[in-house]
Amino acid sequence: MNDIAFILIVFFLVCASVEPEDGRSQTIPSSEKNEEQSNAQSIEVGITPSTVTINGTPYQKEQFQEKISQLLIQKETESERIVVVKSQADVSYKDWIAMTEIVEKSGGIVTLLLEEEQTIIVE
Amino acid sequence: MILRRKKLEATVPSMAMGDIAFLLLIFIVLLARARDDSHLVWQPATGSELVKPANKNASVVIDKMNITYLNGRPIQNENLSGQLSALLGNLPPGSRTVLFKVHKDVVAEHFEPAIESISEAGGELHHVLEPSTTTETP
Repeated sequence: MNDIAFILIVFFLVCASVEPEDGRSQTIPSSEKNEEQSNAQSIEVGITPSTVTINGTPYQKEQFQEKISQLLIQKETESERIVVVKSQADVSYKDWIAMTEIVEKSGGIVTLLLEEEQTIIVE
Repeated sequence: MILRRKKLEATVPSMAMGDIAFLLLIFIVLLARARDDSHLVWQPATGSELVKPANKNASVVIDKMNITYLNGRPIQNENLSGQLSALLGNLPPGSRTVLFKVHKDVVAEHFEPAIESISEAGGELHHVLEPSTTTETP
């Protein structure tokens, strides 16, 4: 009985340890670097649940892929290839991953633009 | 009359050994489960051209209830950067991989601050995804 229990435990342990780990590595430039590079004119991508914009102009997903590739192919230096991604608060992770994958495959370096929280005290 | 002294035999109860080993194993399994994140409920988003991480130093999970976990333990976003910095220490670049496991429907409001914290701590982000099943038509 003990042997059976032991083998069962080993089996469950092996099953539990097979966790998925495949994925995509992403380098997010540090904020100090971003400040230095903010002088360079970078592309701004806006993501909402229904649309995606490049520098304010909305595109369909297929058009977006084409347009971002066109824009990034002209960029030579690393700082020029920085793409500032600004997402609406309700954008899902799966949409965000899909869009940033397109940007990175086109040669862009994704950096995030987060809205800062400010507390204003009204007297 | 000669009384013979009884010989005392000291034997190890071998039957109990199995039970002890069994209980020890259960204890170790429970301990291991408390430290990893296999008990958390999340569904990965899809991606293509996926690669295995070179190494893994920490894992950050955001489950379907929008709760953030560092190595299986719940953590507030404000503390994530500090705790990750402590975990990663002075590891050289290339060995600071942080597995980022986010449920596919979690919204930017929750996962973007976590990405920022990982970046602040000097972690190298590795999004854990599942391969997309759709094939591109030429």
